Amino acid sequence: MIFLLISLFILAMASVLILLFSRSRKTSSFLFLWSLIAASLLGLCCALSILCQKTATLPVFEQYLRLPGHFPLGEFYISIDALSAFFLLLLFILSLAAGIYGIGYLRDYEGKRNVGVHLALFHWLTIVMVLVLVAKNAVLFLAAWELMTIISYFLVTFYNDNEGVRKAGFIYLVAAHAGFFCLAIMFMVMGAHASSMNFDQMSFVQFSPGLAALLFILAFLGFGVKAGFIPFHIWLPRAHPAAPSYISAILSGVLIKVGIYGLMRVITIIKDFPLWCGIMLLMMAVLSGVGGVLYALSQHEIKKLLAYSTIDNVGIITLGLGTGMIGHAYHQDTVAFIGYAAALLHTFNHAIFKGLLFLSAGSLIHSTHTGEMERMGGLFKLLPWTGHLFLIGSLSICGLPLFNGFISEWLVFRALLEGVFHLDLFGIIFSSLGIVALGLIGGLAAFCFAKAFGIIFLGKYRSGEEHHFVEANLFMRVPMAMLAAICIFGGIFPIYTVLYAFRGAQVITGMQLPEGISSAILIPLLMITKVLMIGVIIFAFLAILRKFLTSHFKGHSRESGSSCRTLAGARDPIQTETWICAYQHVTSRMQYSASSFSKPVLKIFRSILFFKVDTTIPKGYFPGKTKLNSSVKDVSQDLFFRPLFYAIKKLSRILKWIQSGHTQVYVLYILFLLVILLIWKLH
Amino acid sequence: MNTFLHLIILVVFPPLLLGIIGKTKAFFAGKIGPPLLQTYYDLFKLMQKASVYSLTSNWIFKAAPMVCLSAIFAAGILMPIASFKAPVQFAGDLVFFVYLFALARFVTILAALDTGSSFEGMGASREATFGCLSEIAMFLDLTILALLAQKLSLSGIFLGGLASSWFLVGPVLILVVVSLFLLLLVENSRIPIDDPDTHLELTMIHEVMVLDHSGVDLAYIVYGKALKLFILGTLLISVIFTFRFHDHLMDTGFFIIEIMGLAVLIGIIESTMARLRMNKVPYLLLSAFIFSIIGFIVILLRGHS
Repeated sequence: MIFLLISLFILAMASVLILLFSRSRKTSSFLFLWSLIAASLLGLCCALSILCQKTATLPVFEQYLRLPGHFPLGEFYISIDALSAFFLLLLFILSLAAGIYGIGYLRDYEGKRNVGVHLALFHWLTIVMVLVLVAKNAVLFLAAWELMTIISYFLVTFYNDNEGVRKAGFIYLVAAHAGFFCLAIMFMVMGAHASSMNFDQMSFVQFSPGLAALLFILAFLGFGVKAGFIPFHIWLPRAHPAAPSYISAILSGVLIKVGIYGLMRVITIIKDFPLWCGIMLLMMAVLSGVGGVLYALSQHEIKKLLAYSTIDNVGIITLGLGTGMIGHAYHQDTVAFIGYAAALLHTFNHAIFKGLLFLSAGSLIHSTHTGEMERMGGLFKLLPWTGHLFLIGSLSICGLPLFNGFISEWLVFRALLEGVFHLDLFGIIFSSLGIVALGLIGGLAAFCFAKAFGIIFLGKYRSGEEHHFVEANLFMRVPMAMLAAICIFGGIFPIYTVLYAFRGAQVITGMQLPEGISSAILIPLLMITKVLMIGVIIFAFLAILRKFLTSHFKGHSRESGSSCRTLAGARDPIQTETWICAYQHVTSRMQYSASSFSKPVLKIFRSILFFKVDTTIPKGYFPGKTKLNSSVKDVSQDLFFRPLFYAIKKLSRILKWIQSGHTQVYVLYILFLLVILLIWKLH
Repeated sequence: MNTFLHLIILVVFPPLLLGIIGKTKAFFAGKIGPPLLQTYYDLFKLMQKASVYSLTSNWIFKAAPMVCLSAIFAAGILMPIASFKAPVQFAGDLVFFVYLFALARFVTILAALDTGSSFEGMGASREATFGCLSEIAMFLDLTILALLAQKLSLSGIFLGGLASSWFLVGPVLILVVVSLFLLLLVENSRIPIDDPDTHLELTMIHEVMVLDHSGVDLAYIVYGKALKLFILGTLLISVIFTFRFHDHLMDTGFFIIEIMGLAVLIGIIESTMARLRMNKVPYLLLSAFIFSIIGFIVILLRGHS
């Protein structure tokens, strides 16, 4: 705890100093870098010390801080349990990586924009996110939550001279406040029943099923907007591309996860929900997962694609969460426990690999000055660092073995399979629906990132002559490499992160580790590592065999004069242009493009995606120009929210006469209200 | 020892299946056809050949065949063959099994895109599309089998778990078998989905993706293809024939006869059917999925009535 407080103190002091020295780039960057490193390391120590405790028994030891004296409505009460610590872990890892990256990224904007304020706000965002994660009082939580929204708004609108960015920021602000409204109501109802705004007192209250369900729906709406569930996700694919890439990494890696944290926290407080709440969450997860990945597939702008894929990963996380809730409603502890642990683990893993992907997408845009995939191609050779790191990120996000994404997806599958085995008919149907959905999400995600990586980095450069791009500088490369290392480590030796996730799941279920969990989860994880190692050995064997077959038999060939025979008798490998069936005039524009790559899948799902291809057919023997335009409609944005807001706008125009603008009239309104209240009370 | 025998069968046997299919097709065409061991000769020949690499390609192109083959082999390690237990087995390995194939497919797609050729791009796109659809059917089939056997590992399911299922829920298993057979054809790019013998424009799925590979790389790919056919064939065979003598020699003998029979069946289908039109393939995949859904519903009704 003391570590965390020192860390927050460092961040706060550093932000003030950065503001003071914001004129000098060197000083402010220096301050920012070292304060960030110091604070993050302290924070990580704090989180790990909680997660590594040998607490087999409950209650899990908590460290808390309660300030004497009361704010209006609440008190300053923070504590770190394993659930908070788990989220702190990913928060500090990611803000460290994104912050260091930010220094490298902002070099170009020196003198053009107010970088000092931006850096100071970055520190403050970390501080308020920590506060949200450790607050144990609803008022403090809400205050920190609101500050988090506002500070992140300023960070998102860094390019504030761009009309689109301002608009995206505004939509983000509106969406976040709509969510805040639901949260405020929820906490007020809970507080009224517990007659305290402290979470621990709320958790003693036994809520009736109806009330629990109502509170759950409010929490779902409020936190769901932040987490980006599918009908409420519309701010997400706008805000992410608008922000500088390292802010997108924070948004997607941490800020959205804070929404997931909120849901988990509400689950720890209320505990017993009716079954249909869990089922609803599972259905929403399926919708977000499949919808998110389909929209991601249809995007050709790299950061938009990543933003939509965030929605799909939130879907996967929520699948775990929903399974947990269903398991809890059936009193199947193992199902519930594995479900929650899977959700937590995927939260962590997604933060890491999506952070990596956003950062590498950022350095891609930094070098090429565009995010349009159709203009890129062949960048693997031109930007090797970015390319390799993006490849690692893509492999992880597709959930392929050897990388951390696989472990968490496997755990979600495991939870769902556990559900298929231990629940009744109803539970089996929904668990198996989850299995199918997760299978589909996995396949489509692989499709999506094969497209993203393949079109951007492989093949040939699509817009004209290849020229030299400037590779990302060291400040940008180091944090990306760090995240990539975590991806690989988490995929090969998953046991640590899984155990941390277990600690968190223990807090959510409020129970000890269920019996047999080690034979159900931990031993299989070791087995997975074993098979992966066997796979690596086979790979090494094949590589050596290949090397042997293609290597030169040096002594012999030199003497005999036949210059290039290999050991097995073959010639040297030949380097030549790709064979295009003897066609002569090939240009790089003739490669398969991103839209043509994703067309078959989009065609299959055309009816739900409103996938449309408009083209003019070239005519005559010497056809002139023609064009092709394919588009996909975001259903909730174009068919739900747009008409809704249009209606609201119309309605408010009708009610415009109430707002006259004269202070006196408003005073009169207040007077009216007071009179009405008085009459009501007298009555 | 058992592990060793398991590995021997896994390593040595697969290319023979391709030979049997070729022989069957030749028989239907009224030809003598290549010898049964032709695939082994091909592999040996390819190993000695030099490779041609595109100037566009990177190390991914060279590494992909190796990653692909090792992933498929790792999947083979999870699969019980005849009465030999899989060398590695654990609860939940069926998910891992499917994901290893996904890894193999993903790297092959990347290698195809690495050449920058639009033919290979087209093949990659189609392979990825059909891969998504076949994966969900595969997951559902495996879930059904797991539910019937009440086991979460492939060895648990196929060595004992399913023993009495044919008597209890025969119809379900028939549906699963049909669905798995369709998946076998799709995953191994056989007729009626794809034509393994050509890479012409109309059949551009799997073959066209490996168009630019040559030499050792191609040998790895051909071997990987045979291995994949063998492993998925074993999966299908193990569902159909659940009876075991508990005698390694007898079981292995019967297993080899069974899987050769499967290869002959594939050969017959290839000789007697035409390839489907590209836009009909998703329907075939969906029908595999629907078969497994129906099977699933039947189980639920049986188990809870």
